[in-house]
This record gives sequence, structure tokens and C-alpha cells, in this order.
Amino acid sequence: MNGHDGTNFEKILVCCGTCCLANNSMDIDSGLKERIQQAGLPLEVEPMVKATGCSGLCENGPIVRFLPDDLCYYKVKPGDVDEVFEKTVLNKQEIDRLMHREPEQRNRVRTREENSFYKKQFRIALRNTGEIDPFSIQDYMERGGYSAAKKALKMTPEEILTEIEGSGLRGRGGAGFPTGRKWRQCAGIGRYPKYTICNGDEGDPGAFMDRCILEGDPHSIIEGMLIGSLAIGANSGYLYIRNEYGLAVRTMEEAICQAREKGFLGKNIFGSGYEFHLQIVKGGGAFVCGESTALMASIEGNTGEPRAKYIRSVERGLWGQPTLLNNVETWANIPEIINRGGSWFSSIGTEKSKGTKVFSLVGKVKNNGLVEVPMGITLRELIFEIGGGIIGGRRFKAVQTGGPSGGCIPQELLDMKVDFDSLEAADSMMGSGGMIVMDERTCMVDTARYYINFLSEESCGKCVPCREGLRRMLEVLDGITEGKGSEEDLELLIWLGSMMKEAALCGLGKSAPNPVLSTIKYFRQEYLSHIRDQRCPAGICKKLTTFRILEEKCTGCGLCKKNCGVGAISGKPRLSHVIDEELCTRCGNCIDVCRFQAVEIG
Amino acid sequence: MKVIIDGLTCEAESGEYLLQIAKRNHINIPTLCHEEALAGLATCRICIVEVMDARQKAEERAFGQLNDDCGEKDDRKRKIVTACVYPVVAEIEVLTNSEKLRDMRKAVLTLLMARAPQSDAIGMLAKEYGVEQNHRWSSREDEKCILCGLCVAACDKMGTGAIATVNRGTTRTVSTPFEEPAESCIGCCSCASVCPSGAIPFTDLHGKRTIWNKEFELVSCSWCGEVIGTKEQLEYVGKRNGPSADVHGGEMLCEHCRAVREASRLKWVSQPGRTFA
Ligand SMILES: Cc1cc2nc3c(=O)[nH]c(=O)nc-3n(C[C@H](O)[C@H](O)[C@H](O)COP(=O)(O)O)c2cc1C
Ligand code: SF4
Ligand code: SF4
Ligand code: SF4
Ligand code: SF4
Ligand code: FES
Ligand code: FES
Repeated sequence: MNGHDGTNFEKILVCCGTCCLANNSMDIDSGLKERIQQAGLPLEVEPMVKATGCSGLCENGPIVRFLPDDLCYYKVKPGDVDEVFEKTVLNKQEIDRLMHREPEQRNRVRTREENSFYKKQFRIALRNTGEIDPFSIQDYMERGGYSAAKKALKMTPEEILTEIEGSGLRGRGGAGFPTGRKWRQCAGIGRYPKYTICNGDEGDPGAFMDRCILEGDPHSIIEGMLIGSLAIGANSGYLYIRNEYGLAVRTMEEAICQAREKGFLGKNIFGSGYEFHLQIVKGGGAFVCGESTALMASIEGNTGEPRAKYIRSVERGLWGQPTLLNNVETWANIPEIINRGGSWFSSIGTEKSKGTKVFSLVGKVKNNGLVEVPMGITLRELIFEIGGGIIGGRRFKAVQTGGPSGGCIPQELLDMKVDFDSLEAADSMMGSGGMIVMDERTCMVDTARYYINFLSEESCGKCVPCREGLRRMLEVLDGITEGKGSEEDLELLIWLGSMMKEAALCGLGKSAPNPVLSTIKYFRQEYLSHIRDQRCPAGICKKLTTFRILEEKCTGCGLCKKNCGVGAISGKPRLSHVIDEELCTRCGNCIDVCRFQAVEIG
Repeated sequence: MKVIIDGLTCEAESGEYLLQIAKRNHINIPTLCHEEALAGLATCRICIVEVMDARQKAEERAFGQLNDDCGEKDDRKRKIVTACVYPVVAEIEVLTNSEKLRDMRKAVLTLLMARAPQSDAIGMLAKEYGVEQNHRWSSREDEKCILCGLCVAACDKMGTGAIATVNRGTTRTVSTPFEEPAESCIGCCSCASVCPSGAIPFTDLHGKRTIWNKEFELVSCSWCGEVIGTKEQLEYVGKRNGPSADVHGGEMLCEHCRAVREASRLKWVSQPGRTFA
């Protein structure tokens, strides 16, 4: 197949986000650069190869994209470089096997636009990630970068505040507090110095939207913080980035240097006389350090533990001074709001949740990755259209939203709109935008147990409801998964959980009961199966599970036998197989591999 | 400014903590982790109260962005706060003993009782709230510590910092560094005396004090023989506050005897013709 016109590609974007780097995308980038140089193409046809930040569809990385045609290759290996160069770069031939195939469809699609993963997306916070070289301030500026800061310098703080309030933006770090209101509260306090902080702790396992922005579009955060600092009157700011995010720290460091050289940071910004300095602080890594008061304690050099905060940090935050703390994604939205106006932003989304939100869609969906969609999209659209549905033809069971202390939302609520208030009404939360999709082979009791275990390790342990409450919840859940539960246990869990929700000291303890309360609410029957029938319907809790091969369905293909690690399955080819219950360790491999649904949970 | 607590109208200064206001008006709110001199821990959560704030509600309405249905018949929003650290800055109405609060305290006490079956402080409150030991839960039978953090705060206040809370989450404990006898511990017993649970053991025997696995020499009053403190403690205090006034011609006096001496000194001075050397 030949290209549709004779001109050359202008740009080749090679994704060099953390995931793609791990799959050697740097070699693809340098390999392509080398080939093009060696070939000595005349300058006007030489495509520019760029290493970009994460493009969102990590699972299918490394991703190589050709502009302006938008031809997109996935899962490219360094070994493919020669072929890509010769066929695609030189001769504009497409390589079929590297193109995307839509789930359920035969044809491969050429462009990123046609990929259903990207179709419904609307990128504001992620407007530049995957499009620019994060180490180049030039790239950022070519796409309108720093024009909002210039504009803001000519605005009064009041005008900035009005714009942000008008946008209806709510914090993307978890609680969804109205950003404009927070800014105004902080601006209204007449004590100086004031500080701005960017929360880049991102402690939710599986979430990586903040990392993606930090690594892929660092200047949008700097610009956002510059605007926020103008609005409240702060001259210094901190970027709190978790220690594990090595690449993010490097990109941010480089971006700060470049911004300083250009005069966008420092003493006399754009010659306006305004002064703003930015500094990176590496986080200790505990989940609770993402909580605002713990984070500030950590910047001050103290143990990262939350404190009681009846006095808000906009009044007394870092070192007791007025402090404006926002999440990475919140900051990244700011320049666009200033450029396009608050009313533009508020025209997107639902009545009380404006704009877009980045979700990390992971778990049992076909397309795993980062997606940015308008608020108010339904769970069904997210999971089945963008996510491409459930892997392996299994049934959807639940989606856990909001990180480890979010709730699990069942099938019945799939048509629910995704926004701050609907999620909360469903006993879950927006959190930082984690979405873990679970299929029928997920035990909800075990899931609740898993999160409570995580939280009991990550809680700082300071206050009684959270520390002791989680410990006992875990004991009770352990008991239920081992067949030692009673029906009163459910009431006990609800009793403890509702106390924790109100009496715990910080947001961790206050949200920690969500996984338990939501699963009891929506999957009570499954709890009762564990308790009354001593049976785990999903076949996960080992003590309450037996596997059986159904004679009438078994074709004797022997796949289960091959996959059983302990040799518990016997049977002759083409004859029905049997499982030796004594030997079986309940690993579930057999049920997962059998193509004839012949393995049954007893 | 006015604060209505359980129906009683109380006067308060702006910024005053709710617990103080209640105490002054003889309204009893249970506390476990609160000590006047070491305020601000807010770890036990037993002092929870319900606050209704008419102004805050109006503000939230205006922004129209927070959930309105808090499931209360009362039009004003109620929230649960801990009285020991809640500063009163607006006219509010407070409930300290509603049914909901009692039930929540019961849950907190059930947890504490399971953690520290031997704590006296918990035992008494548990009786008052009708809490019984949950026998299905595993407990360390001899545990007394409720991890309120007062001991650590007391030691920090001494400036010694010999003990700290270690570990996160459910494995948290109070300990000396690496559980070794702490170099900086001066055996002052501030930690033990502030502990609401009697969880820090120490012994004063044969002129020696043992606490946190470290032995100290005890110094007694030269007049009455009462124990004043450990040698390390007196040296530490001496270094911090300048030479101690109690050391006089090699004499070490306890507070009582010092007062007696001061009094007699004054008598001497007031007698004409006598000078005090
Ligand atoms: C246990 C806990 C963990 C949190 N972790 C994060 C985090 O990793 N990143 C973040 O931005 N906010 C986190 N938050 C929310 C912050 O406390 C804070 O509300 C937020 O950063 C404010 O920014 P926003 O208004 O822009 O959302 C966490 C909160 C809690 C209670
Ligand atoms: S709620 Fe949990 S994390 Fe927060 S202060 Fe209490 S113990 Fe620490
Ligand atoms: S569950 Fe695992 S151990 Fe048991 S029969 Fe199947 S494959 Fe073998
Ligand atoms: S030892 Fe006593 S003072 Fe220290 S944390 Fe435990 S209960 Fe509190
Ligand atoms: S006895 Fe030791 S640990 Fe206790 S308060 Fe004194 S110095 Fe600190
Ligand atoms: S790192 Fe390449 S797509 Fe995410
Ligand atoms: S007395 Fe412990 S939280 Fe107030």
C-alpha cells in the first residue's frame, strides 16, 4: 500500500514516557534519528523525530506516530526500526502489523483519530502530552505555552480569580474542592510570604495521570503555578514529587532551568518586576504524604503525618503561612482556562463538575491507559467504548473508582454519569481518577480485604478510628474470606465504618471504609454466600472454593492439565478430565484457561 | 461571642478551643489524649462533638457545590469535630452528648478496649458507655498503651526527644531509638506521669530508677530524704536553666524543703542586725 500523497512526514513522535522507555523506546527514537541522518535526505524533507511524554495507551506502547498524517504504530520494537525507516519513512508504506486493531473488528486502523480509545477523549490537561518533547520549552511555546502567563501578568488578581471561579474548576487531587474559592480565600489573607504548592505525590497504586503530566508537559504546571501565585501574591512555590518518579523529577528540573533562562521564572518575570521561584521537593513515598497537611509537614522536614486542620492551610499552611496547594492536574488546567476563558471551561462537563477529568483505566479492560474525557461521561462509555470492554469475553462485575479508598460500583450503575457528586452518592469517590475494572472472576469480599489491608499499612497510625478501625476491619474480613464470618460481622463492619467516616482525623481514615461499605451495599449477597454457604462464588477465596470439571462440557483438550502447576488434573486426551481436590491449591489457572467453560466453581 | 453548648449559652473568646469553653462551664466532654500543656494531639477522637454552624451552611448554599443532604432534620449542617482542637470562630451550637455521639464514642471505645484491655482510663470510660470486650478479636492481654502520643509530646517538651512513635499504620508503637536504652533519656519520668493508661513502667528501688531499660541514680533531698529526681535529670535541667538554685553548699532540696528554707531565710533577713551569707 502506498501513501496517499507524495510529501514527506514532518514529524515522527516516539513515545518516551516511563512505560514505553521500559520497552526500549529510546532505542527506537535514536535508531530512527540515526537512519534519517545517515540517509542524508535533503533538509526540507527530513522529518523531525521527537521523544515525547506518555501518549496514554501504555499497554500498547511503544507508540510511534507520524505527523501530519496521524499514522500510528503500536508495540514497536527496536528491531522494527529498519523496516519502519525503509517502508514508512522513505516510501510511505504502511506496516499493517504495527497498526491498531479495534476489538471485535478485523480491519486495522491507520490513524490515532480512528482508534476508539482516543475517539471520545477531550484533552485539556493532557493537551500537550505525547505531542511535544518535554525537554524543549520551544515545543511548549509553539503550542501557545506561556501565553496565558503573559496574559495573566496584565490582569489584576481579581480578574484572574473571577476567571478561575467562573470556570467552575474543582480540585483534581481528590476532594473536588472548588479551586476558585480556595484561591480567593488565600488571596484574601493579608499575611506574607505566601506559598504555592503542587501536589505531585500521586500515591494511588495504579494511577499515573500526574506522572504523565509531570513527565510529558512540565511547563503547563509551571505556568499554572505562576498564574496562581500572581492571583494570591506568592513569590515562591514548591513542587512535591514522589521520590520514585525519577523521570518526572528530571523533566521538571530541566523545565525549571529552561523557564528561568527564558525569564519565566526568577526575579523579574517578563520584565514585569514580578518575582517567582520554584523548587522541587522529593516526597518520602508514603501514601498519606499526599494528604495536604502531611505533605506540608514533609516539606518542612518533619514526619509526613496529617494534623487536625480546623484552620485551613490557605490561612496557615507551610511554615504557618498562607498556602495554596493544588494537584498537578488542577494546575495543568489553569493556563487553558486563562487563555480560553472560564466560561469556555464551564461549558464542558456537568452542572456541578466542569471540564474534563483524566482517568487511569486499568484492570480487566481491553484498552488500559490514561484517558481524558468530559465530566458526565457514563461509566459504560468509559469502560466499553474507550476501554473496549472486558478482556477474554468475561462479564463485567464492578469498577472501583477513586484509588484505594474508593468504592466499588456495580453493573446496575453502569449508566451513571461520572462526576464528583454522582460518584460520592454511590458510596465511592472521584479521588485522583483511578478506575479499576473487575470481571466476574473477582471476589468482592476479597477485594475489600485487599484495600483495607493496603490502607492499614499506609495509614499513619496516629488516630484511633483509622488505625484500630482498619486493623479490626481487616480481622473481620480475613475471617469472612476464611469461612469464619457471621452475619453480625456485616453490621459490625458498617458500625465501625460509619464511625470512621466521621471521626477519623484525616481524609485517609475518613474514606478508608468506602471499599467495605460499598461492597456490602452492592454485593451483600456475595458476603452472605461466604458466611452462610461457606462458598466464594468467584472462586477466589481459597478456603471456600473447590473446582470441578463438568464431564459434559470437557472436551479433553488437556489445556488445564498443562497449566496446573501441581499436577492435580488427570485425564486422557479427548476424554473428560478430573481434578484431585486433595492436590488442588485453588490457584484458578484451570478455570482461567479452559475455553469450553468446563471448569466450575463448586 | 456566644456559643450554645447542650442548650447552655456560654461566653467565649474568638479562637478559644471548644473543650476549654465547655470545661469552664462544667460541661463534661471525655478526653484521653488531651493535656493542657501538651495540647493539639487529637489522636484519640473520644472528645468528638456535633457542631451546627448556621453561617457555614449559608456559605455552602451560595456556592452550591457541596452535598446538601446530610440526612438531618435540622436545617443546619452538623459536623463532627474534636473539641480539644476545635477553635471557635463563629457563633455555633454544640451538642456534646447526643445519641449519635454516644454511639460513635462507643465504637471508639470498643476499638480501644480491644487494643489495650489493661488500660485503666479505658476501663472506666468503657463502663460508663456500656462497652464490653469483643472476645473474637485478638488482643495482647497485657497491653495498656492506647498510642495517644502524650508521652512522646512530653519528652519532646523536655527537649530530650528520647522516645518516638515508630512504624506506620497498625504496627505503630512508642519506642526508644532501635529499642535500645536511649542515650538522651534522663529518666525524668515525664512520659510515665503524663500517660493516661499507666503504660510506661518504671521502678524506684534502692536509690536507682529504671525506665525504658535504662538505670539512673536517684538523688534525694538532703533534708527529708524524698526522691527529687535522677542525677542526669538534675544535670540536664541545670545545664538548661543555669546552675540550679536548689544546689546550695552541696545541699539538694526537694520542693517542700526548699520552700521551708526560703521561708526561714526571709525570717533571718527581716531580723535587724543579721546578714545572710
Ligand atoms: C490519604 C490522602 C492522600 C492524598 N493523596 C493525594 C495525592 O497523591 N495527590 C494529590 O494531588 N492529592 C492527594 N490528596 C488530596 C490532597 O490532600 C489535597 O486535597 C489536594 O492535593 C488539593 O488539591 P486540589 O484542590 O487541586 O485537588 C490526598 C488526600 C488524602 C486524604
Ligand atoms: S485518619 Fe489515618 S492516616 Fe489520617 S491521621 Fe488518622 S491514622 Fe493517620
Ligand atoms: S485450581 Fe490450580 S491447582 Fe487446582 S486443579 Fe486448577 S490449575 Fe490445578
Ligand atoms: S505510653 Fe501512655 S502516653 Fe504514651 S502513647 Fe501509650 S498510652 Fe499514650
Ligand atoms: S524519662 Fe526519658 S523518655 Fe521519659 S520523658 Fe524523661 S527523658 Fe523522655
Ligand atoms: S509511556 Fe508511552 S504510552 Fe504511556
Ligand atoms: S481528647 Fe483526644 S482527640 Fe480530643
